[in-house]
Amino acid sequence: MSRYIIRRLLQAIPTLIGVSLISFFLVKSAPGDPVLAMTYDPKISQATRETLRRQLGLDQPLPVQYVRWLTGLVMRPGDATAEFSDEDTGCSYVSLLNYTFCNSGGGVLRANLGTSITTKQPVWDRIAERIPATLELTTTGLIIGLLLGIPLGVLSAVRQGSLFDNLVRFFAVVGNAVPAFWLALLLIFLFGVYLNWLPAGGRRTVSLSDEFDLVDRLRHITLPAMVLAVGWVAVLSRFMRAETLEVLHTDYIRTAKAKGLLPIQVWFIHATRNALIPLATILGPAITGLLAGAVITETIFAWPGMGRLTFDAAIQRDYPVVLGTVMIASVLVILGNLFSDILYGLIDPRVRLL
Amino acid sequence: MKKFLYAISLMVLGGLAACSGPTPESITEVVKETVVVEKEVRETVIVEVEKEVVTEKEVVVTATTAPPQQGGVFIEASSTDASLLNPIIYSDAASFDVIQHIFPALINQDPFTGEVIPDLAESWETSEDGLVWTFHLRDDITWSDGDPVDAQDFKFSYEAIASDNVDSPRKYITDGIAGIETPDPQTIVVTFNEVRCDGLLNLGLGLLPSHLYGDDYSDIMESSYNEAPPVSAGPFLFKSWTRDDNVVLERNPEYWKGAPYLEGWIYKVVPDPGARLGQLQSGEVDLIEAQPEQLTTIELDSNLELFKYKDDGYSYIALNLANPENPQPGQDEEGNLVEQDPHPILGDVNVRKAIAHSLDYDAIISKVYLGQGYRLAANVLPAIEWAYNTDLQPYPYDLETAARLLEEAGWVDSDGDGVREKDGTPLSLNLATNAGNTVREDLGVLVQDQLNSIGFDITFEAIEFGTLIEELDNQTFDMIIIGWTGLGPDPNDDAFWHTQFDVPGSGFNAVSYHNPEIDQLLEEGVSVPDCSIEKRTPIYKKIQEIIHADVPYIFVSGTVGNTAYNGKWQGINPGPWAFYHNVEQFSLAQ
Repeated sequence: MSRYIIRRLLQAIPTLIGVSLISFFLVKSAPGDPVLAMTYDPKISQATRETLRRQLGLDQPLPVQYVRWLTGLVMRPGDATAEFSDEDTGCSYVSLLNYTFCNSGGGVLRANLGTSITTKQPVWDRIAERIPATLELTTTGLIIGLLLGIPLGVLSAVRQGSLFDNLVRFFAVVGNAVPAFWLALLLIFLFGVYLNWLPAGGRRTVSLSDEFDLVDRLRHITLPAMVLAVGWVAVLSRFMRAETLEVLHTDYIRTAKAKGLLPIQVWFIHATRNALIPLATILGPAITGLLAGAVITETIFAWPGMGRLTFDAAIQRDYPVVLGTVMIASVLVILGNLFSDILYGLIDPRVRLL
Repeated sequence: MKKFLYAISLMVLGGLAACSGPTPESITEVVKETVVVEKEVRETVIVEVEKEVVTEKEVVVTATTAPPQQGGVFIEASSTDASLLNPIIYSDAASFDVIQHIFPALINQDPFTGEVIPDLAESWETSEDGLVWTFHLRDDITWSDGDPVDAQDFKFSYEAIASDNVDSPRKYITDGIAGIETPDPQTIVVTFNEVRCDGLLNLGLGLLPSHLYGDDYSDIMESSYNEAPPVSAGPFLFKSWTRDDNVVLERNPEYWKGAPYLEGWIYKVVPDPGARLGQLQSGEVDLIEAQPEQLTTIELDSNLELFKYKDDGYSYIALNLANPENPQPGQDEEGNLVEQDPHPILGDVNVRKAIAHSLDYDAIISKVYLGQGYRLAANVLPAIEWAYNTDLQPYPYDLETAARLLEEAGWVDSDGDGVREKDGTPLSLNLATNAGNTVREDLGVLVQDQLNSIGFDITFEAIEFGTLIEELDNQTFDMIIIGWTGLGPDPNDDAFWHTQFDVPGSGFNAVSYHNPEIDQLLEEGVSVPDCSIEKRTPIYKKIQEIIHADVPYIFVSGTVGNTAYNGKWQGINPGPWAFYHNVEQFSLAQ
């Protein structure tokens, strides 16, 4: 097992490097310029923009920018020591190559994701600020989805062909087809405006005091979590239904029934446990998706999550933030897949991890 | 048997779907009725509000007999979060929305006329040559920690902008200033390098609390004060900032205009416009900037008030006067004019005039802008009353004149395919705008339609904003639908027309408009020695005449702003230039 894990982690390294190369060059090739976006004002002179561009290192060729992002090493032709050295950056001029090398102490390899172009905060801080809000929303959505979707799927399989089964399948298709933004706006106007039962958005009621009010938080999370849960219930109910159907026709279930066990015991103790095994393959990437956030739901409900951060950063061409979230997401995907493979190996004795 | 039943039920469902023929008719009837109702409501409201705006200028807000209630938190909803709460290095409007409540400024703008009015500075005089301005400051304004707001704060803030340790987008302001002297804490002497009549406005930036920073300006850029301002001289004190969620400000009891009745003010981030309206209606927020299609809902809601105003911006179609295959700067390094390679179609002023005559502006303003717009003849807005040329008439919708102009220019449809040609080149143009802006997308479709009907062949595409801006700046476009906002109360817009600003890749004269007479008038207008309105008015009126005749832009519509707010507040008296100018008087209605 441990050899398997080590091998997978070693395989992850070239994957991550490949991801970083591809995403870096893709993001930078997109048209649009963050400096222009920030300084789009007729009164700002071109000289100011050039200075800003130079300080951000955006005037250099892409491979040089990539090296700077990855390792924190800045290379400039000529002697630029005076211009670029300050209290955290040490520069030295190599006359043989006529190049200045500056070490800014940063770079992804040293776990420094850089500084956001728009808000000047460290990228990691911007991302970390959003993690609690994101996890709150996506985890709640997933938990509701699991609590509703799994029993619905199992019961649907057990009562195969009945009205209940057909209704569940119908709503699963509808749930998959309905666009999230439409459902979100519908819920806001229904429960927020007309009935005024639940808040129309945000994470908490904004007020002068900072106190944590559980009931208020729960009221705010209800609608966005429901929107996310609809998607999960749709997927999970169909999945569990298919798995349970497969299991129900096996010999050991017939034995259980023949032994005279109660239906609940048969379904939920014996059948579901076996049907849950393939769920491990979904849960791994699902846990990864928890941190990716859900852009559309977050935007409509004004939920300060990671999905919105990445989207806004992409529009503003805030490269360090976009690349930061891409790298973190890739690490999580790799870990998530590894986790689900391990889980699978642990649960199902028939599977041997090599 | 089961399969047969399935097949039958599918066919029945299919039949039912097909048989829903009659129902669509009744649905469309219902829709038509509601549209008529909406139109009526809108029309009456426009008339009402025009009257409202006029009377509000004359009415003095008198105190109510019962003293205003203390308390209440005013919540403004915004589509984006602030980025930096530092008045000299911020660059986005959302940051300004918060900064305006915290930092003091030397001068301010009259909320109704846009003219410069005293704030920290009580009065000022200029020297004969217009280069030296002396300001006399009030002595009763203090920061919330007790330190006085004085000339030193002004000198520090502006010298910080000029300093190498600070990356401010406002260095253009200090480039024009030769020196700042503070002979005593209540006097500031500013010497400019040259007379710039819009230079006074540049002195109105928010000021930093100089007593909290080091002398060499090195601790400004990375300061934690940029995220949590420790002191305030405005109506509110900073309390907290949850990124992308909200900024919370609370009452400043030491505010020099009087402690606000409000307990606090909150800036809440709600990105989706539908959700913003929902939160306004449910009472979770108190103020939003409303979209045209939301106006009917707001007007029908008796709890909400609407403030309609002419904003300092307009929508236009930029016409590239130069060849997009060969963008060139307007001037070379010595400042000599560079001959432009004219656009094969748009380089002819008669073609541009023909385009101006081909658009049904009334239909555009009522259908695309839902009535929230007004016609413009030239580049100065009616909100700048002293400079606005009232004699110019906007181009009327006149297809016959348009067709005649095109024929006379040599564009004739010789092969009967509906598209005019000249010397074998078809009258084909590319029209672009930014995707996601439904108003501009609708406008693009209408323009394409209207121009195609007189023999143009317009290809319209809606592309992503960053890409659109690149096309505009690199001057590789034909026609782009876009707008200007935040033009300010001074009519000087030389950045759009002067040849020195025609720089592919960065200059704002992206249409490559070259007119030596305009260059000269623009330079004159902004350097009148005493900046008197009597001397500047004729210059700007002439500029508008020429721009109107040369058609470098098709002026589509002036922007109308609509601020919707909750009726439970009293004391609100907004003007087109400022909503919160008297925020210390806002209180809950009793």
